[in-house]
Amino acid sequence: MSVWEIVELARHPDRPYSLDYIRRLAPDFIELHGDRLSADDPALVGGIGTWHGRTTVFLGHQKGRTLKERVARNWGMMHPEGYRKALRLARHAAKFGFPIVSLIDTPGAYPGAGAEERGIAAAIATAIMEWFEIRVPIVAAVIGEGGSGGALGMGVADRVIMLENSIYSVASPEAAASIVWRDNTRKVEAAEQLQLTSREIIGMGVVEEVVSEPPGSASADYDAAATALDEALYRHMQPLLAQPADELLQHRYDRFRYIDSLISAEPHFGPKVD
Amino acid sequence: MAIIERPREKVAIQGGELPEILLPTNCPGCGIGVDVSELRAHNYVCTNCGHHFRLGADVWIPLIADDGTWQERWEDVRSHDLLKWTVPKRYQEVVEELLAEGLNESVRTGTCTLDGHPIWLAAFDFGFVGGTLSIVAGERLARGMEQAASAGIPYVLVSASGGARMQEGVLALMQLAKVNAAVGRLHAAGVPYFSVLTDPTFGGTAASLALLGDINIAEPGAAIGFTGPRVIKQATYADLPPGFQSAEFQLAHGQVDMVLPRTELRPLLAHLLELHA
Repeated sequence: MSVWEIVELARHPDRPYSLDYIRRLAPDFIELHGDRLSADDPALVGGIGTWHGRTTVFLGHQKGRTLKERVARNWGMMHPEGYRKALRLARHAAKFGFPIVSLIDTPGAYPGAGAEERGIAAAIATAIMEWFEIRVPIVAAVIGEGGSGGALGMGVADRVIMLENSIYSVASPEAAASIVWRDNTRKVEAAEQLQLTSREIIGMGVVEEVVSEPPGSASADYDAAATALDEALYRHMQPLLAQPADELLQHRYDRFRYIDSLISAEPHFGPKVD
Repeated sequence: MAIIERPREKVAIQGGELPEILLPTNCPGCGIGVDVSELRAHNYVCTNCGHHFRLGADVWIPLIADDGTWQERWEDVRSHDLLKWTVPKRYQEVVEELLAEGLNESVRTGTCTLDGHPIWLAAFDFGFVGGTLSIVAGERLARGMEQAASAGIPYVLVSASGGARMQEGVLALMQLAKVNAAVGRLHAAGVPYFSVLTDPTFGGTAASLALLGDINIAEPGAAIGFTGPRVIKQATYADLPPGFQSAEFQLAHGQVDMVLPRTELRPLLAHLLELHA
């Protein structure tokens, strides 16, 4: 499969979205709404449900299938309110000791004037910083598109895994082409350069595991895809549940602090410490 | 309670002599002929119209640091072409050319004093691949913040950046998390963090450390935002109003504490350091 074919699979409208997984992982899921400041962002779903016998907070970017749904979900692109809602639910989780599962599936944060006016940059910055203070275990999974800061704003976790045909990138191929060549039609070349497929990402040490999809990709069998995701998420979550919170936060810090250690360990990178 | 009078000596607008920089013959703000020595004495702010010329780290360091106190750290940390990036040019070649020009990555960091107060200082260099946040930049920032947090020394950042560096792929994106975690250490330790946003500050840099200061200070007219105006227009076909994403726009929208001329920056930082001492 070419890199671009994987990008298309990751974005395929028949691919299971967050709610397709969450309803299979926790059939009693209750969706909760609102950032408690001004709005509810439909591009991010969040709520609570029972997962492996334990109340769990689920968060996920949500895309739509029909045109109407896509517009309503804003193509899974969050506004500042979405990050504030996510943090509000993370604090809920921390208050009650519920673990958090975060599903990532977004082309990026919404690139619009309203998002800028309401502080999208600071909302993402604050989210990324505050995830490091949430004193309960967090496991994140990239299930489709992991695009840019919009994805990372939901991707600070103790373990991060990826579905086989998902992508994770510093910018969407279109945005990268626009930045590098000022021409967003050169997206295929950009995708090849960015090394955004799951196989390439795990090679860089950025995720802990790539989860195999059923034959014909996740789109072909939602139940089998959800079972595989469930198994992997829980296998990563289980050891975290027993970890003292201080230790958990220190490991979370170290996970990102040394995430580039495969590169920075090279001798000419310079001294690791003084 | 006794009121303590603290007579303040006037703080110089520059810590030391600023190097000469390449300038256009006329000011892009008002078109007046540029007088290099006059501009240099005024922190490269046009004395006619107030236009703020973009500065590299080589100017920001002597502008902020007391003369002779700058001690640069981790200068030898180097970037790698980990993605074997070849278009439109080999990344390794781009980096080597910039190093040969005397630039040293998109962020330089070190310790100094400002009006006698010890600080950590980090300055972005827009001339190095658009001041993009890279592994080297992230590493220098995180190491400095960790040391500032444990030693209780205030941290001052001057940003000018297009965002995360495309040529380092998802590992450049991960620098946002690495650096923000370190900013969290500054906050947890109760160490002051002052962020100066200059033209331009965008993308992953705005969405990470630049807007997380205890106090955010923007330069007049600086463009600050998450998504650049070209991409917003491509994505939404919106007509953006004049002044969209300017420093003044960010002040009106609650993102920065003040828009401050560069000629007042150093005295203000000195005052802030005193107030938070």
